[in-house]
Amino acid sequence: MSQDSLVVKGLSRQFGTVHALKEFDITIPKGELVALLGPSGCGKTTALRIIAGLEKSDAGSVMLNGKEITSDAAHKRNMGMVFQAYSLFPHLNVAENVSFGLKMRKVSKENQKKRVDTILELVGLNSHHKRFAHQLSGGQQQRVALARALVTEPEVLLLDEPLSALDAQVRTNLREEIRRLQLSLGTTTLFVTHDQEEAMTISDRVGVMNCGSLEQIDTPDVLYNNPATNFVASFVGVMNKISSQLSDGHIEVFGKRLKAVKGEKTSGTVYALIRPEAINVKTNTTNPNARVLTRSFLGASSNIVCQLPDGTIVQSLMTSSGSGDLHPGSSVELEVSISEVLVTHD
Amino acid sequence: MDSESHRKMADTMRKNLASNLVLIVAGMFLFFPLYAAAEFSLRNGADKTHGFAAYRWIFEQSGFAENIGITFRVTLLAVLLNLLIMVPTVTWLHLSGQRYKRVVEILTILPLIIPVVALATGAQLAMPEFMQNSVYELSFFYVVVAMPYTYRALDIGLSAHPLATLTNAARSLGASWLKTFTTVVAPTIRPSILAALFLMVALSLGEFTLAQLLHWSTFPVWVTNVSQQNIVGATALAIGSLFFAWILLFAFSFIGKKNSTIVTEEE
Repeated sequence: MSQDSLVVKGLSRQFGTVHALKEFDITIPKGELVALLGPSGCGKTTALRIIAGLEKSDAGSVMLNGKEITSDAAHKRNMGMVFQAYSLFPHLNVAENVSFGLKMRKVSKENQKKRVDTILELVGLNSHHKRFAHQLSGGQQQRVALARALVTEPEVLLLDEPLSALDAQVRTNLREEIRRLQLSLGTTTLFVTHDQEEAMTISDRVGVMNCGSLEQIDTPDVLYNNPATNFVASFVGVMNKISSQLSDGHIEVFGKRLKAVKGEKTSGTVYALIRPEAINVKTNTTNPNARVLTRSFLGASSNIVCQLPDGTIVQSLMTSSGSGDLHPGSSVELEVSISEVLVTHD
Repeated sequence: MDSESHRKMADTMRKNLASNLVLIVAGMFLFFPLYAAAEFSLRNGADKTHGFAAYRWIFEQSGFAENIGITFRVTLLAVLLNLLIMVPTVTWLHLSGQRYKRVVEILTILPLIIPVVALATGAQLAMPEFMQNSVYELSFFYVVVAMPYTYRALDIGLSAHPLATLTNAARSLGASWLKTFTTVVAPTIRPSILAALFLMVALSLGEFTLAQLLHWSTFPVWVTNVSQQNIVGATALAIGSLFFAWILLFAFSFIGKKNSTIVTEEE
């Protein structure tokens, strides 16, 4: 238990009639990077702000390294935070911005300078000490904000969609850098994002949130391959929903009998949830069951969108070399390459 | 190509000429009355010589230093009240009092709608007696009368920055509310605070009606009384106070700039 850095239990928060957060629990061991992923309005930012002390909770508790901090003011929590909006103090230059937290902690001048130099070096901005926020690009501003949050060696680093305002290229670079820094400093980190690629690529574990509750929290692999709820299944990655008849715990999809898992019913009409990479598109067939709508070239792989006779859209992910002869309009046969399938009733 | 660039150059020149012409006309409109008044104030009686007799006359009038002193102290208190009341209040309205903002906005307009006479007689009665008996009650009234302007100056400055994010950042970095206000909010909106204080100073230095109605002798009241006796002296007073106010405001803006460099060096 002593290895757990942040333990949050039963957090609830209501705004008017809206339950922003319902009985939210999360435990983060020391040094782990956990992402909270969910659609906008799912309560992930509210959770982060309550943990930071910037928002009050109606119920629940926040423990940091075994110490209850639920009612502590934000400035006494020793957490670092990076925000979605640019938050550098406009009247201070980069070095002064970074040393702000150190000054509040009454660190000596020489020590401040040393730590500011070290952290700016780490985020790759060692020649920018005297610049002001308006002289920096968006990516540089967020790097400074990251340095400013990390220089005080916080117990927990809180990231509130820090990459959302940036260009795609900068976003990818900076997220790798955040992960590299986090691993080298060993800072326990909670990262809020609505971008699943961001969450999946850099996190140890991802918590998927919906309507104020945590639906599932696990490693990216488990979330993708073994989603606990329908919401997680459809929110994480692309998921095909194919209607079929369930009987005796089995379901037939494109002529193949598959074992249904996690279904509540054993018979009736259900939907099979199948990932695009588990669907193959065959051109040489005497038994076509779908029509190609589009093929998007993605490099090594291609995304093929097909339509079933009943109008259902099905996506398939294939190697580009294996799908070169697929053209819009051609009749094809779809196959599944799995033997077990998730089913859902709605 | 060549004639094209020629035409463009001629165009810009014509535009420059037009804007310069406007400047010159507007400048003359401002400058001539000032020049005429200055010239008049320098005349030595009926003869054609010029000198500073009228200016010397001002200093010889009784109550000069005393009234300037009163106006200065009243202005100083008004500025302090503005810093202590208006700045934190408008900041709070921006951060967590959003729903009261509309009401306050309307309230700040009231001093423009309510006649000063009503303020003088009505509001004075609401003051505790020891305040009614002190000239410094004027400072409180001046803060209220200047509110339509000072509120807006501060409001604009606060709206120009993502204040909520900045204060959240400061708080998460270990700054208490007070520290956040003094080390982040105030320096960020420094130009607006200075603008609000300019307005406050300008209003306090020149306010006549309230002081006169409440029977306080301030510099503007004194000027009005004294200038009844000597027309050249009155003009000299007008020119003198104008230049004095300019110098003061200029110095003020200079202090503001100097301070900001000191702050950056220190922090």
